[in-house]
Amino acid sequence: MARVLGISAHYHDAAAALVVDGEVVAAIQEERLSRIKHDPGLPLAAAFACLQHAGLRPGDLDAVAFYEEPFAKLERVLVHLLRHLPRTWRAFPRALAGQLGSKIWVLDHLSEGLGVARDRVVRFDHHRSHAASALLVSPYERAAVLVVDGVGEAHATTIWDGRGYDLRLLASVDFPHSLGLLYAGLTAYLGFTVNEGEYKVMGLAAWGQPRLREQFARIVRLTGDGAYELDLACFAHMSDADLGFGPALERLLGPRRPPGRPWDFEREDDRHYADVAATLQAVLEDILLALARKARALTGADHLCLAGGVALNALANARLQAEAGFARVFVQPAAGDAGGALGAALLAARERGDPRPAPLRTAALGLPVDADRARDVAGELGLPVRRVDEPAAAVARLVAAGKIVAHARGRFEWGPRALGQRSLLACPRDPATRERMNRLIKEREPFRPFAPAVLSERTGDFFAAGPDDMTPFMTTTARVRDDARERLGAVTHRDGTARLQTVEAARAPELHAVLTELAALGHDPVVLNTSLNGAGEPIVAGAEDALAFWLRHGVDALVVEDLLIERSP
Amino acid sequence: MNAPVTRPPRPGLLRRLAARLRTIAGLVLHFLHPARFVLAPLLIVLLLAGVLLWLTGGLAYVAPFVYTLF
Repeated sequence: MARVLGISAHYHDAAAALVVDGEVVAAIQEERLSRIKHDPGLPLAAAFACLQHAGLRPGDLDAVAFYEEPFAKLERVLVHLLRHLPRTWRAFPRALAGQLGSKIWVLDHLSEGLGVARDRVVRFDHHRSHAASALLVSPYERAAVLVVDGVGEAHATTIWDGRGYDLRLLASVDFPHSLGLLYAGLTAYLGFTVNEGEYKVMGLAAWGQPRLREQFARIVRLTGDGAYELDLACFAHMSDADLGFGPALERLLGPRRPPGRPWDFEREDDRHYADVAATLQAVLEDILLALARKARALTGADHLCLAGGVALNALANARLQAEAGFARVFVQPAAGDAGGALGAALLAARERGDPRPAPLRTAALGLPVDADRARDVAGELGLPVRRVDEPAAAVARLVAAGKIVAHARGRFEWGPRALGQRSLLACPRDPATRERMNRLIKEREPFRPFAPAVLSERTGDFFAAGPDDMTPFMTTTARVRDDARERLGAVTHRDGTARLQTVEAARAPELHAVLTELAALGHDPVVLNTSLNGAGEPIVAGAEDALAFWLRHGVDALVVEDLLIERSP
Repeated sequence: MNAPVTRPPRPGLLRRLAARLRTIAGLVLHFLHPARFVLAPLLIVLLLAGVLLWLTGGLAYVAPFVYTLF
């Protein structure tokens, strides 16, 4: 039986995950504690927070597992820098400085930062870590595993045969051909920030039509064996880490969209950019479908696990569930690079003889919020804080009255989705709520949708699909029933879908209680549920973050465990 | 909530040096694979440049060498 800490770092979304005796005890992204969005730095704060939660000291650890092979990554960087000279000459010093200056020493830095003997620090392959993070916490004993991201050491896409605790690599597509980097390049072309704006592209897709398939057929194509290749002339990820796309892409699709310009779909060019997003989404889904079908043919498995940043594309996941031929599909909530920390920890635990963990029931793997601290700080700030006996009932009454409630209860979530522990909750009926939330509180583009959370057993009343293995973690979408669209006006996207979360008491007890109270009050057991953060901020973690959010943003009420603060009318 | 975990002090120079030597040994072993021989000269030059920068504490003294490299 072992105590293993998994670590992912040095690209984006650094994280730590603690596995004790084969069970996932805690998993935390560094950004929640450092308050730097997508913090890529060595996640020492997250690591110590995981240990603190479990009551362990660094000396108690049997292993620290890093989610990547630093030398293999250096080799890939060297080979591609040399292969693409002279295009890469500008990137050469910076890339090598990053590799030789810090990344190849990461195991030493972990040993020193955590105070763990160097021989206890181990590493695993990037895509194997991703695959483990999905398979080993899934409900499946046997599954095909499809990992799709930007790039690990050399692989950008891999297909694995997962049986019990074993993962066998069956096929791969290697850098520089990469679906993650295709999506990143187009994200940059559309004027959004890479590694941040991909969700915006997905939301934008519903506002356009996939009219540009002819142009996209020259950008990326299926190779006939279930793999794909990019036209590298359209991209710059081999030579320019900042831009991601090349002049050939602009010759095909027109000039890039200026970053920061307000969106206006009355403008012809903005409608064109929406068409670019819609075509990108359609092409991505087609390729993922081909990869999933190949995975099914290679493995013969009935179940599919997805991992890697591209697995956070909820629209594509819904299509895979419907069309790829698998009976069930699973995506764990931190499918991106953060999830690699969990996978590495599980692989190291396996090497030390631990059993495979139970299926992941909840994403609430972070730290709890300290209500006493919140009351003290609120008192010092002179905020009108009061204690309520039944916080869920109080939240339900506020939501039913049309208020927007900041809700911080329980342990915060693992992954980019707020699943009720650190959420903004509101009535899902009125589209004006979406406008208020988008423009005044979240300060984001008006086309971006909000997600609904629904009592699991009432899902069929509102959606044309039932709960599945993805809906508890909000990693898929479903069509909103025609007769429910008016009642779900604030959470139904332009294409008639919603990225729903189905809520069970065992997975998200606090949110389940709110929905149950709403039903008891005679309302639909559905809320608009979005992350408790403002533009450019990480999601709230602790009591101070929640109060800082309250002070900065115009929400109507804040609930921290059993404490309630309401804004005066 | 458990008590915060005390962060360890920075290890001594000898321990850090031993860890770095272990990493360099691993790096050399990785690039000793016949398929990777071609990268060895480049890596050696880069590592030497890195050591030079570290020993001199900055770019000013070694700028002429770096200029010839890049």
